[in-house]
Amino acid sequence: MNAIRFQKVSKIYRRSHLGRTTETPGLVELDLDIPKGEVFGLLGLNGSGKTTAIKLLMGLHLPTTGEVETLGRRAPDVAVLARIGYAPEAAYLNKTLTGRENLSLFAALSGIAGAQRERRVTEMLVKVGLDKAMDKRLSEYSKGMLQRASLAQALVHDPELVILDEPVTGLDPLAIKEVRALILWLKSKGKTVLFSSHDISEVERVCDRIGILSGGRLVKVMTQDEWRGKADALETAFAAAVVRTDGVGPIRME
Amino acid sequence: MQTISAVYAYTFKEHIRHKAWLSGALFGLVLLGGALIVSALGQDERGRLMLDLGLAAIEAISLVSIVFLTVNLILVEIESRAIYLILSHPVRRADYLLGRFLGTVAAVALGMAVMAAMHAALLGLYGWWEPGRYLAALGCMLGKTAVMGALSLLLSLALTSEAAAMAFAVFLWLLGHFSSEMRFLADRSGSAFLKTALVAFSHAAPDFAHFNYRDFWHQPAPSADWLMWAALYALAYTAACLALAVQVFEQKEF
Repeated sequence: MNAIRFQKVSKIYRRSHLGRTTETPGLVELDLDIPKGEVFGLLGLNGSGKTTAIKLLMGLHLPTTGEVETLGRRAPDVAVLARIGYAPEAAYLNKTLTGRENLSLFAALSGIAGAQRERRVTEMLVKVGLDKAMDKRLSEYSKGMLQRASLAQALVHDPELVILDEPVTGLDPLAIKEVRALILWLKSKGKTVLFSSHDISEVERVCDRIGILSGGRLVKVMTQDEWRGKADALETAFAAAVVRTDGVGPIRME
Repeated sequence: MQTISAVYAYTFKEHIRHKAWLSGALFGLVLLGGALIVSALGQDERGRLMLDLGLAAIEAISLVSIVFLTVNLILVEIESRAIYLILSHPVRRADYLLGRFLGTVAAVALGMAVMAAMHAALLGLYGWWEPGRYLAALGCMLGKTAVMGALSLLLSLALTSEAAAMAFAVFLWLLGHFSSEMRFLADRSGSAFLKTALVAFSHAAPDFAHFNYRDFWHQPAPSADWLMWAALYALAYTAACLALAVQVFEQKEF
């Protein structure tokens, strides 16, 4: 059974300005199945389509062509979101709320009933190490604390599928280690995890499979056997597969 | 219902923590200035002037607050990307919009209540005390506020520019005070184009004649029918604007 299925999915961004329409491909004919219980990493450069793929799963974007399925339901499907946890690349939280109020809001939005909600919120704040700061406003949180609050909202409803968009970007080494441990813990609980990253060393440590995106196309899918125990195998494959599409040339050192 | 009440609660808290107290402070200054100006007048004139000045200030401050808050209500969440996290939970967009709108109207209504309490206390000192008429006047202002809030929210989503939405909201607010004049002009006009345009504008803009509490100010109290029609008009216009806003919002990608 697949947790995620992309069937020939393309996403074209259209922008009109002064009567002229420009089209930019975000994703091109993506075909990808991710079975339940797998940890799958999406690797790619900036603008390669990682976030577009994730937004299509969350119903924040609609595909131009093709079909997206999450947990057996065609996206966008509001009801299935109760079984999915999502943490974006930065903690886009309402900073006027306290840590507890923020998590309580997301627990309520996920359908957790009042009596159970308070208990669940406190448990989750303890789990992410924010129990001592739960009554402080998020505007007083450090970047690392906000990232934990963001992870807490993604996990508060005990989702079957967890989607993390660049979860280690900008974190300190200790926090990166904790995120890695969290992903492995989720896997041990039978959850499906999809995460995107630029960081090849992180991806190779936790993923069962990876997909490399370049210019909106899925150019390579690799399984753990292809990189485990082989130094630089993933990095070499990545460098060979991707093409810069952002108009930036290499750094010259002559 | 749980979703609407959760969104309502956080929106209300957000406004209260941000700037709702400013309207009370501003009104206090207006009252203080007004009291100093009218202190030289006779007892009867003082009471009447303070009544007019206070009600006009409550209405103006409430309308400016609701237009400013609703125009920014969704655009700010899109800009800060907080909307990603809300809509990645099982939240119907209509519920989110309704919760945000109700939370904002409630915050402005609280501000109105605080201003009205200060105003009523001052009027009491001047010997004016007619709670029936005063409450009916406040009800009319609340109806006007809800209508302008829904209209501004629709404009902000349709135009996606704060400045344009505010300019249109002010334009429609002005037109709303001249609905009967526009229909009169349409009847007299020889040009079919002008007639159509005037009729269209007179129907699209809210008709604030329904909330003109000065119509009953010299009677003991407004009739129940008059109040019921004012309430029905406010509900119908607000619901129509919100329904259109939901249609626009459903098409948006983030």
